[in-house]
Amino acid sequence: MRAFDPRRLRTPTRFVPALLGGVLLVHFVVPFAAFLSQTGTSNVVAGLSAPPARSAIRNSLLTAPVATLFSTLFGVPLAYALARTSVRGKRLIEGVVVLPLVVPPVVGGAMLLTAVGRFTPLGRAALAAGLPLTDSLAGVILAQTFVAGPFVVVTARAGFGAVDERLERASRSLGYGPLATFWNVSLPLARGAIVAGVVLTFARAVGEFGATMMVAYNPRTIPTRIWVEFIAGGIDAIVPLALALLAITVVVVTTVQRLGHLPTVVDG
Amino acid sequence: MTLEVSGLTHRYGSKTAVEDVSFSLADGEIVGLLGPSGCGKTTIVQAIAGHLRPAAGRILLRGEDVTRQPPERRRASVVFQEPTLYPHMTVGENVAYGLEAREIERSRIDELVETHLELISLASRRDAYPAELSGGQKRRVELARALAPEPDVLLLDEPLSALDRSLREELRRAIGRIQRETGVTTLFVTHDQADAMALADRLVVMNEGAIAGVDTPRALYESPPTPFVASFLGRSNAVEATVVEPEPLVLAVGEQTLTLPEARSDRPAGASVSCHVRPADLTLAESDGTDTAPTLSGAVSHVTDRGSRYDVSVTLPTDETVVVERQAEPPPAGTTVTVRVPAAKVTRFGADTAGK
Repeated sequence: MRAFDPRRLRTPTRFVPALLGGVLLVHFVVPFAAFLSQTGTSNVVAGLSAPPARSAIRNSLLTAPVATLFSTLFGVPLAYALARTSVRGKRLIEGVVVLPLVVPPVVGGAMLLTAVGRFTPLGRAALAAGLPLTDSLAGVILAQTFVAGPFVVVTARAGFGAVDERLERASRSLGYGPLATFWNVSLPLARGAIVAGVVLTFARAVGEFGATMMVAYNPRTIPTRIWVEFIAGGIDAIVPLALALLAITVVVVTTVQRLGHLPTVVDG
Repeated sequence: MTLEVSGLTHRYGSKTAVEDVSFSLADGEIVGLLGPSGCGKTTIVQAIAGHLRPAAGRILLRGEDVTRQPPERRRASVVFQEPTLYPHMTVGENVAYGLEAREIERSRIDELVETHLELISLASRRDAYPAELSGGQKRRVELARALAPEPDVLLLDEPLSALDRSLREELRRAIGRIQRETGVTTLFVTHDQADAMALADRLVVMNEGAIAGVDTPRALYESPPTPFVASFLGRSNAVEATVVEPEPLVLAVGEQTLTLPEARSDRPAGASVSCHVRPADLTLAESDGTDTAPTLSGAVSHVTDRGSRYDVSVTLPTDETVVVERQAEPPPAGTTVTVRVPAAKVTRFGADTAGK
């Protein structure tokens, strides 16, 4: 047996992490490749032209952007407040923000049902007003926002945290109030992180299945339709819709990222 | 008075940061707020700028009480220790930022930006982004941005501390020149006494959250009001002594006596006093003993070559060490020497003020 050679020790410093990371990479790539290899055997165009598939695509395209918009509209101010204030109970609020990430989506959906289901006061009132909160597009949006909203909050919060508070103070001393300072300084400087959060939220919302299934099994979105077709026809049946979902996500993610990186903005 | 700080007190939790601080700045004056790190200087600046609400006390800008006003309602510009230029705006946009908050016409804003960029000699970099500038250039742009809205008071919070030495002196000169040219009332915060003495018309010396002395740099240097000012402004030797006779003053330093013929003390015999004298004022006496100046003897314990001079440390029999500056070749360590103490250069502090 050869003597132990210390010179060979230098390679493992890079080799070991690469090897371990590679195992996980393989685990990501292999199913992906295997699934895509199935696509040749099914007729994607025919699958997508079927009316149920088209309405699922339309529903997903209607709901996921709205859920993303709500999450951003309310989540970015929340992220800023969490990054800048130090109130008592802030830990608790942070816990609440990540709660939907910790709870399994299907349980989250059940929780939503207990809050806004058609036999709850809120659900009944909404139904009476002609806006049912379950088994409706509104229900889908509620489920998607519940599950996907935390992503934009957590990411934007990190982005605001990285903005030096003195830049905001300088803006105040130059004559701008808190809101104008947020708009002129904090928001543009945290833009990279916010865009990343928006992208994650959209990707999660458009693919949301567990909570959506509980709150609004109908009308079908792409993920719930995929489930229905899988039960009926197995893997081959879901290939067209799965590809459509993938395509939507890729297109939206790349577009938003490109829009978010205007040349005047320094990467956050 | 352009700026008046009166009875300012602030605490962080149970720790007092600033205790009953009052001072004021006349129109066009540049005042140095000087003190060691953690003495409360930054707390004072933040209170003046409105980024902090003090526990007690008032801030007046041009006679108006602004203590409860938010920062944007005060005309106080701040330049922080670390650069705060906006990376997503050009140099010109940064300087224009404070002008756009006020109701000023676009053409006038352009004019003012141009004027202020010329003031800092960076008119050619108007369209550059801060990331393209050097450290010193960034500081100058910040100065221009702070000055452009013509504030009542300019607050410079350790603007030179993060710079290396040559840049520091260059920027220090630039600040002095710009302050003279614009005549803006300026509070210059620093822990560096050389910066403070070079720039300021007057100094406010802080120690542990309270004011230790206010006067012109030279007056504070030559007749420090407290032992802290004596030791903080330039180097100082402190020797503990006991009054033997109040008039003419005779002091005992251990077994030795020091007679200061011109001086008298209002402290009675037996009282402790702390004597401060600058190393440059002390000399090593020639051994013939013909002169009549008061002297103390001790042994040379250590010699440091400073290039242009020597610092000779002399340990007295009381175990106190005094530093004597000397140009000529110093005696070697261990030599017994006599230190001449010029009576006029000795500042005495009674025991009751020594602690302050």
